[in-house]
Parts: sequence; C-alpha cells; structure tokens
Amino acid sequence: MRWIRFAVLICLATILQAGLLNLFAVTKWSIKPDLLLILMVFFAISCTGRDAIITSFTIGFAADLIGSTMGTQMLSFGLLGVALANLHRIIAIRKMPHQALVIFIISFLAGVLCYFLTLLKSASAPNAYAVIFGSSLYSALLGPFLFLPLSWWMRIKKPKR
Amino acid sequence: MAWKQTKISAKMLFVWFLLAGLIFLFAPQQLTGKFQSAFTHIFRLPLSIGRNISLASNIQQPLTDIVSRREYNKLQNHIANLTQLLEQEHKKNEQLSGLRSRFVLEGASFVLADIITASTGGLESELTINRGEIDKIKSGQFVLADNSVIGIVSNISSRTAHVRLITDYNSKIPVQIAKTSRIMQGCGNNSAMINLLMTTHKVKKGDAVYIDKQPGIIDAPMIVGTVSECKKDAQNPLLWDITVEPVCQIDKLTSVAILVMNPQKN
Repeated sequence: MRWIRFAVLICLATILQAGLLNLFAVTKWSIKPDLLLILMVFFAISCTGRDAIITSFTIGFAADLIGSTMGTQMLSFGLLGVALANLHRIIAIRKMPHQALVIFIISFLAGVLCYFLTLLKSASAPNAYAVIFGSSLYSALLGPFLFLPLSWWMRIKKPKR
Repeated sequence: MAWKQTKISAKMLFVWFLLAGLIFLFAPQQLTGKFQSAFTHIFRLPLSIGRNISLASNIQQPLTDIVSRREYNKLQNHIANLTQLLEQEHKKNEQLSGLRSRFVLEGASFVLADIITASTGGLESELTINRGEIDKIKSGQFVLADNSVIGIVSNISSRTAHVRLITDYNSKIPVQIAKTSRIMQGCGNNSAMINLLMTTHKVKKGDAVYIDKQPGIIDAPMIVGTVSECKKDAQNPLLWDITVEPVCQIDKLTSVAILVMNPQKN
C-alpha cells in the first residue's frame, strides 16, 4: 500500500467533497455524489485485511471532518468497509454494474447507519431517507468510472481477492 | 535504544479504530469540533477556491435596467426590519410615555466574515467562516446576510467558526409569526417549519417571519424568512403546517456579518 499517495488522495477528495462538488448538486435537496464513500468502496475491494481496516476508518474520519458530527461516519464507513473487504474474499466485484450495485448498497447502508448514530446526538431530519437514497444513486452512477483512475494513481493493477 | 517493531493483529486494529470512533462520537462537540476547525483552518485556501469556483459557475447574466433579485430581496428585508422596528418603537413610546430610549441596534456592532465552506440544501446546513475567538465571536451569536438572520454561531475555534443555518434540522429558534411566538425548526432542504400554531391565527403565503428578540443577543426582531407554504395539519386540522424559506439565497453568499450586541470596548 502506498500510504503517501493514499494521504494525498484523501486530502484532495475531502477538499473536493467540501467545496467543488456543490457544482454537481442536483434537486432542491442538493444531492451530490459521495466521493469519500466511493473511495472507501474502492479500497475495501482493492486491499487486504489490515489495509482495508485502516483505509475504511481513515476515510470515515476524513468524512467526519467535513460533516456535522464527529465519529458517525468513521464508525459507519469503518464497519461497512471491513464487512465489504471480508465479503470480497468470497464474491468478486469486478464488472462495472456490480461495482455500481455495491456502491449503491454500501452508500445507502452507511447513510442510514450514520443517520441513526447522528440521532444519538441531535434531532431527526425530515426527508433523510430521500436524501440518502438520492446520494447513493448518484454515487453508484459515478463511482465505477472513478475506479480506473484510482487504480492508476494507487498503482493497483488488479483488485485482490 | 533499539527500535522494536510491533505487529498488531487485524482484529486488534479493528477494535482500536472502533474505540476511537466511539470516543469521537460520545466526546463533547466542543472538543471534537476542534478537529473540524483545524482541518478548515489548514485547508482554508483550497476550500475557498473550490467554493468560489462553484459560486462563479452560478453567476447569472448581469441585468442593466432592472435591479437584481438579490438586491431587491435585500431591500425588501430592510423594509420588513424597519417596519418591525418602527412598530416596536411605537409600542415603547406608548409604554414609557416620555422616558428617553435609544435605537435598539445603536450599540450593536457587526463582524464581517468570509465563508470558507458552505453546506446548504442537504440535511446539514452549515457554514464555516473565517472569524473565531480572537475576533470576539461567541457561540450563540446571530449571523446576518442581506439584512436577514441566516443562522447562529454554533461551534467556535480560535480563527474559524461554524454557523448553523436556520434550515439545518438541528436548528430550533424562537420566531414571531402572526404576532405570536413559536419555535421554528429547520427541515434541512433550504426550508424550515413552524408547527403548533392554531388555525385561528391568520397566516398566508408570503407573510414575514421574524426572529424573536432575545435581550443581549438580538434586541430587535429581524426578518428570518417568509411563509412559502401554509396548509392545515393532516393529523390535527386545528393546527397550521407552515413551511418557511429564507429570504436570502444562502448558497450564493460569499460573506456574512455576525451581530454583536453591546460589544465591550478595550
């Protein structure tokens, strides 16, 4: 694992997610793709056990830095990233439609888990599930197209099983 | 001293990270917020550039003969605030009958701040501004833009502060509507709602909603939004279900002003 490249990538993705990605926001709820979640899925299916744990929790921490409540995304990204890495030992996720489906499911589950964890500290939000669904769909459509440049940047030739 | 390399098992690593996540989750927001503030402070330049690019892409064609929508809204808000102030002053005059009073915002000062990041429209509606404790900003102070209240300073560090917008789903602020006080809660999608208002109160679309005055924090009611939808509650027809939208386009803002009532002079 090339950790310096990983750190640069995460910093860049976090900055983009916080600012520039508003350009691509759609609908009145400003639904935008979750770049950090796409990265989490990419690393979970590209790395082995220890690396997958570190990358998942670290990306979750980065997502918390630009979110409202600390800890929620770190936990949801970490748990789902590790689960996905373990699942990937059994099921290969190589075709783009499969990757899109995985991103959608993981994004939706992470969104719901994060929302429930947020409820421990703050009030419930109307339309939360609609926003999570929209964001998951958007991420699923965009995500698979980013996997190739990400593989190139991280010098990962083939997703490991 | 020899360097001893330790190998942590994957399970142990997972438990440690999980524990770290739980600590972050249950630690006080004031403490964990410092991480967010530090990130914003370190990367404030690229974050500002990113926001400016997204703002620049939304710039509309300049209008020459007519006043812009933003300027129009700004002036409308100013009129609404003045009307409310005038009404309040009239009431004071009637009550005090001759006692000398001063203009309510006479002692207030405004701290101008640039927006570093903005998260609007989604579930979380928050701004990060480039003013903090060293600029004498305090948590709970009201943040204004285009002559209207847009949020409250929620989290603060030495050089940056977070502003919880009125549309954030964690935002609950006392407001005046139809000459009565109610709590307005954010909905998260650039709107807020007011419940528990009886239908006996006359409310219609377009009515102004004012922030309730809070002595020492905001001494005069100030416009916060307008009623965008007003219908009877589906579960209880005796109550209104009111949707309020902000009177300024928060996502297009580049700077805001923090209202400091009766500042202490050095």
